[in-house]
Amino acid sequence: MTTILAEILLVEDNPADRDLTIDALAHSHWPSNISAVSDGAEALAFLRREEKYAAATRPNLVLLDLNLPRKDGRAVLADVKSDPALRRIPVVIFSTSQAPLDIERCYELKANSYVSKPSTLRDWMAAVKVVNEFWLGCACLPREEEQ
Amino acid sequence: MSATGTRMGEEAGKSVASKPQLHVLLLEGDSADRELILRELAKGEFEITSDVVQTAEEFRQRIRDQPPDVVLSDYNLGQWRGTEALEILREEGLDIPLILVSGALGDVTAVECIKQGVTDYVLKDSLARLSVALRGALKDKKSREERQRAQESLAQKVEELARSNRDLEQFAYVASHDLQEPLRMVAAYTQLLGERYRGKLDDQADKYINYAVDGAERMQSLIHDLLAFSRVGRQETELKNTDCNEVVGAALKDLQAAISESGAVVEREPLPWLKANESQLKQVFQNLLGNALKFRGAQAPVIHISAQRQGADWIFSVADNGIGISTENLESVFIIFNRLHTRTEYPGNGIGLAICKKIIERHGGSIEALPGADGGTILRFALPAGRPADIQESA
Repeated sequence: MTTILAEILLVEDNPADRDLTIDALAHSHWPSNISAVSDGAEALAFLRREEKYAAATRPNLVLLDLNLPRKDGRAVLADVKSDPALRRIPVVIFSTSQAPLDIERCYELKANSYVSKPSTLRDWMAAVKVVNEFWLGCACLPREEEQ
Repeated sequence: MSATGTRMGEEAGKSVASKPQLHVLLLEGDSADRELILRELAKGEFEITSDVVQTAEEFRQRIRDQPPDVVLSDYNLGQWRGTEALEILREEGLDIPLILVSGALGDVTAVECIKQGVTDYVLKDSLARLSVALRGALKDKKSREERQRAQESLAQKVEELARSNRDLEQFAYVASHDLQEPLRMVAAYTQLLGERYRGKLDDQADKYINYAVDGAERMQSLIHDLLAFSRVGRQETELKNTDCNEVVGAALKDLQAAISESGAVVEREPLPWLKANESQLKQVFQNLLGNALKFRGAQAPVIHISAQRQGADWIFSVADNGIGISTENLESVFIIFNRLHTRTEYPGNGIGLAICKKIIERHGGSIEALPGADGGTILRFALPAGRPADIQESA
């Protein structure tokens, strides 16, 4: 019997935060395949399977930082949620910002949830584990939209 | 000698210096009277230049084109009166002294003229008084101008101070915000090192890692508190009708763990409603009650919360039976980052009371610490009981 691992796309420009998130996911309950990209343009290329990402698997979950080079996280979110081929994919915002303006804007852009990056290691690990357990273990996920 | 020479030179310079110039505008129909007035003026300490106008229109035009230092006016100007010249000066927004030089006026008229703002009144048959009147008028004007300048400079200083305070708050906010992210990296990775590599290096390494973790955590908590402190200044203090009993209740609820852990008894007297920012007021009570719990003595804490009306204010007090504050420290406890104990004795950043002070002051009140009757501390603060207009903060 083969287990199909959940695919997670992590969009994070800060390598320290990226590694910490990957570490936390690796220590979470539900195993997953993690792909990481470091800017917004790459994230869209990955999701649209463009060029070097032609063979990329469509992720079951996107973890998206907001302040990103080249294409901002908010713009990525807006593009994903207005693209019929991508809009079903749950996007969890994972950002340092706790500004109400950012939080509200992201929900308006149809983010599936907004998690602010905790400031301590323990809280960070706990937050990522909760995200992992909810989205991979508890929530029912959609099928990929046929084009 | 050169020093003496210079001084003598200066004196010589002074003696040849011309008299200060004074431009006089005359409102006087009689040419003989004009002559007498000018002759009198020439005796004085000024180098006089003069000008004459007859009608109100001419007068208005002349003071616009070439405002004089002083106006000398007869009371009766044929078609019009000297007091009307006063009105024209006022309409033109010019602060130029006007001295009436006139024949005898009745007492009532003279008093009326002074009331209307005539600077002085000199009788034509005692013109010798003119130079005294002139000196007085110019001195008055000078002191008026000086007062105005002082007021303007004060207003400017106040504005500068307010701006620099705003800048400082903005700086504290941005700095603490931007410091958080790199600091989080330091904290997270030293913690990770501590967890994953404990016992794998040597004791010394474990100790060093602990120091780094501790330092990073303390810095995080400092920044967190600093951010809270600067936020008090940045946010609009929106004041609403607030039930202080409810506010204290909410603060106590947040402190429930510390209360039951310490076995504290909290005695609450009925508190008033007043115009306040609810969340800021809760913060005040939370900090004060938190301190009363933290700085407890050997026995279980007993905290007494009360409020009394005193004139236009409500005086709140939070009294405890804790370790107290020595008299010399009663004021300094409100200074940011000021701590009276080591972190191992009592943890904390020394920001709590500074935040309380800032909040209370933004509400138009004041706060002080007093020694309690039996060794504890009383934190007492006054808040205006009045209308919001009385406590509105200029943000």
